[in-house]
Parts: sequence; C-alpha cells; structure tokens
Amino acid sequence: MAMFPLTANFEGDFVLQLVAVDTENTMDEVAQAAAHHSVGRRVARRPGCAMRVRRQGAEQAFPRKQKLADSGLKPMECVEIVWESEAR
Amino acid sequence: MATLERMDWYDIARTTNWTPQYVPEDELFPAELSGHMDIPMDKWEIYDEPFKQTFPEYVKVQREKDAGAYSVKAALERSKLYENADPGWLSVLKAHYGAIARGEYAASGAEARMVRFAKAPGQRNMATLGMLDEIRHSQMQLFFPHEYVSKDRQFDWAHKALDTNEWAAIAARSMFDDMMMGRSAVEVGLMLTFAFETGFTNMQFLGLAADAAEAGDWTFSSLISSIQTDESRHAQIGGPLIGVLVANGKKAEAQRMVDSAVWRAWKLFSVLTGPTMDYYTPLEHRKQSFKEFMQEWIVAQFERSLLDLGLDKPWYWDIFMREIEDQHHGMHLGVWYWRQTAWWNPAAGVSTAERQWLEEKYPGWNKTWGACWDVITDNLVEGRKELAYPETLPVVCNMCQLPINTTPGAGWQVRDYPHEHDGRLYHFCSEPCRKIFQDEPQRYAGHQSIVDRFLSGEIQPMNLAGALQYMGLAPGESGDDAHNFKWADTIRDERLKKAS
Repeated sequence: MAMFPLTANFEGDFVLQLVAVDTENTMDEVAQAAAHHSVGRRVARRPGCAMRVRRQGAEQAFPRKQKLADSGLKPMECVEIVWESEAR
Repeated sequence: MATLERMDWYDIARTTNWTPQYVPEDELFPAELSGHMDIPMDKWEIYDEPFKQTFPEYVKVQREKDAGAYSVKAALERSKLYENADPGWLSVLKAHYGAIARGEYAASGAEARMVRFAKAPGQRNMATLGMLDEIRHSQMQLFFPHEYVSKDRQFDWAHKALDTNEWAAIAARSMFDDMMMGRSAVEVGLMLTFAFETGFTNMQFLGLAADAAEAGDWTFSSLISSIQTDESRHAQIGGPLIGVLVANGKKAEAQRMVDSAVWRAWKLFSVLTGPTMDYYTPLEHRKQSFKEFMQEWIVAQFERSLLDLGLDKPWYWDIFMREIEDQHHGMHLGVWYWRQTAWWNPAAGVSTAERQWLEEKYPGWNKTWGACWDVITDNLVEGRKELAYPETLPVVCNMCQLPINTTPGAGWQVRDYPHEHDGRLYHFCSEPCRKIFQDEPQRYAGHQSIVDRFLSGEIQPMNLAGALQYMGLAPGESGDDAHNFKWADTIRDERLKKAS
C-alpha cells in the first residue's frame, strides 16, 4: 500500500486535477476519487452511467477491478475518466 | 547662446562605441550578457532607433507626465472611488497592481543590462531612458494603490505579491525572470521590449486606460495612460535589433526568442487580462470582448510588425488563434473556483444577462463553459455552497505555471502534454509550452511548480490551510466571490418568479 498521486482528467470538466489514490485501489475506486473533485462541482451527474479509467489517449479503459499497482501507470501520469453507459 | 537643433548633434552624441585598449572586446561585452552572437561591432552600429529623444527632453516630458498623473490622483482622493466602485473593478485594480508593479522594477534591471551590455549604441541610449521609465512605473504603481491599503488588505499585494509563493505570483515571476532577469541584452531587447511590450503591454495599457475611464476611475486611467506613453517609446528598442540579426544571418535565433516570449506573454495575458475584460468589468462598461480586443489590437498589429521586420508568424499561430477563443474562459473559471488562493476577489460574471453576452460573443459558450457554470450555479442556488469550493489542486503547467485547462462540457478537449526529461515527468498545457521547454531544458528543468512543491512535502500541512500559509495569504487577504454571491441570489429569484 502506498499513496499514489495521479493527474485526473474528468470527461466534461475543464481542468486537470491532482488526485491522491492508493496503489491498492481498483480502477473503479480511482474513478470515484477523481469524480469527488469534478462531479457535482462542475460536471453534472449522469445517472445510469459508469465511470471508466483509461490512460490518456488510449482507446481501451482499464478493467474496472484492476488494481492501480498492476496498471503500469506512473505517479502523476494523466488518466481520463470517461462516462460509459451501464448497458454496455 | 544659440543651441543646435537636436538632430544636428544627436547622432554624434550617440556614437559612443570605441576600441577598447585595456581589455579585449569579449571581456567588455561578455557573450552571455551581451548576446552579440559574434556579430562584429560595426554591424551593431547600424542600429537606428525609430524614436529619438535626448536626456533633457526626456526629463522635461517625464516631469510633466508625473505632474499630470499625481495631480489627478490628488484632486480625486476624496472621490470615494473605493466605496463606490463595482467590486469587480476593484478586483481589476488588485490583480493588475500585484502582478505588475514589482515586475516593472525588475524590468528596470533588464533595461540596465541593455544600457551596459548592448553593443548597439542606439540601443544603449534608448534603454537608458527605458530603465528610468521602469523605475517610475514601479514607484507609481506602488504609490497609487497605497491609499487603499488601510481600507482593504488585498491592496497590500501590490507590493507583496511577487515576493510570495502564491500561484499567480509564481507564474508572473517565472515569466518575468525568463524574459528579463536571465537574458542577455539582445534577448531582453527582443523578448521584453519587442515581444512583450510591443506585442502585448503597450496595447493592453491603451485598453486598460479606456476601461478605467469607462468605469469612472480617472485616477487609474491617467496613471495607465501616463505609463503607456513611456511604453510606446521604449517598446521600440527591439524592432531595429531584429533588422541587425536578420541582416547578419541570425533570423532563426531571433525567431526563436520572439516565438518563446510571445507565447509566454500570451499565457499570462489569458489569466490576467481575459477574465478582467469578459467577467470582472461590469457589463454596462464592456466595449469589446477579450477575443475582439486580441484580434483587433494584438493579433493584427503584431502580425504586421513581425512580417515588416523580416520575421515569420510563430509556428504555433493556429494554436494561438484557437486559444484566443477559449483559454481565458478556463483561466477565469479556475481562478474563481480556487478563489481562496488569489489576492483579489474574482467576479463570477455569469448572471443571466452576462451569460447572454458571453454566448453572443463566444457562440457555443453555454454548451461548454456554461455547462460547468450551470452546476456551480445550481449548487449556489440550491444551498450546496460547499461544493463551490475545491478540495484538491489543479495540475499546473511546468512552463507557464498556470492550470492545465481548456474547453469542457460538450466540446471537452482537455488533455495533458507530458514530457519526460532526466527521469522526471513534466506536464504542459499546450504544444508551445512543451516545445519551449524541449528547446532549452537546461533553462527550465530545475523549476518546481506549485504542485511539484506540494507533492515533495514542501507545503505543510498538506491541506488548504497549509497551502494558503505557503502562499502568504493571511486572513482578510484570501479571495472570495467579488459580489458575495449576489448574482446567484438574483438567479434564484428569477427561477422562483418563473416557477410561480
């Protein structure tokens, strides 16, 4: 377990933000941590949508239960948190 | 005794180069301070300043200018401007003085470097007057806000800002140090006087003086006009230098200096001037949008002078044109959202009428920037004020030191421009900021952004209180909404009226 800072880029928001997470966090938990600083503050909630984490520029999101420690992300690397319809 | 006409003696008096006998020329004009690029001395002597003024003329004119500005101030001291002005206008004053006043003093040092180390005699002559100008500008822009310090501690930041680690002060200092303190006489001539002053501040001061008059602040208007007349003279130091460089095969070097300085100046403008014009200035006093101002006064004029002098448009011109549409909206939203970390109180500028104006000036504003402000407005109207305050830091650019941001909402295109150098990951807001770093990594690699400092543990405790203390923001200085959220109250009333 170790504190792990990331640069979060939340879909629909205007700015990159510092998010402190943990190497043991899953990608869903990373998304939640990023959402705390964007959703309901400057980004409207989207009921029925999940939030997925992907490396900046990647087409594929990380698996939702993948741990940050296993993602290959570097400290402060930029991740995009994008909305995904639950139906998918 | 009859005296000669100025132009009968000016050229002779200015011809002050000589052949050194006690030290070699390279010791008299060290390359790193002079920036001569091995162009021979006689080639510099063709430098011909477009604005010729002698020292006696300078003293006479400056004395009159000072008398004018100070007498307007004295006459209006009882006008109760502070009590009567819109809080948005007071924020314009605070942001301006804090970011600029001490920078002017630093500029006198940069001008002094040209006075001593420029190989072109004409450049030395003009810079002597420019050096005195900058001392005057610093003194005036410290003295004028001083009368407000007893009423409002934020005005103390006119003197204090650039000595602190407040984020905007770090950004301003980073740019000024890069452009003025760590540059040779030739670089200062091109980067400070040509790129920054001709390209931006000369025009900015014209616009600001007009805005001040429109807002009824005649003291500030006369102060800024007085400064602008100096700027329009000493800003011309750089132009003839470009001619010398181009004629001696150094166009690429000149272009790189100008490209770098124009971009860095633009980023600082986007956070200081953009919000001022499009959000802080009361709606009834706005004459032009920031975009219109940039296009008419900065872009068109600067583009022409670049081409006239034999340079090209900077390689990033298309990116610049796109940023003029957008970047300042993000800087404004960032400053407002993180307003506790500013030394002024940002005016939100998003009442119903103001949003209509923004949509008219920037079609699509409501679907993009407006989408963020919708959430903020709903929170304020519906009693969730705590969500209108941040709980983390924005990631800032390792070049301009400003939050990395761009279009949100339906047009979301925010991204990082990363770069790894010597094992360290750097973040940039744009391709030009990254390229400036990549061109001269040895110049920039050691700097720590406010976020780097936070992550390294330099800011303690690692929370808002620790950050405000690190930035030097004491209680009573930390910013908040300029109108104390009255605009949100009005929107709530409008909604209730509509619903009933």
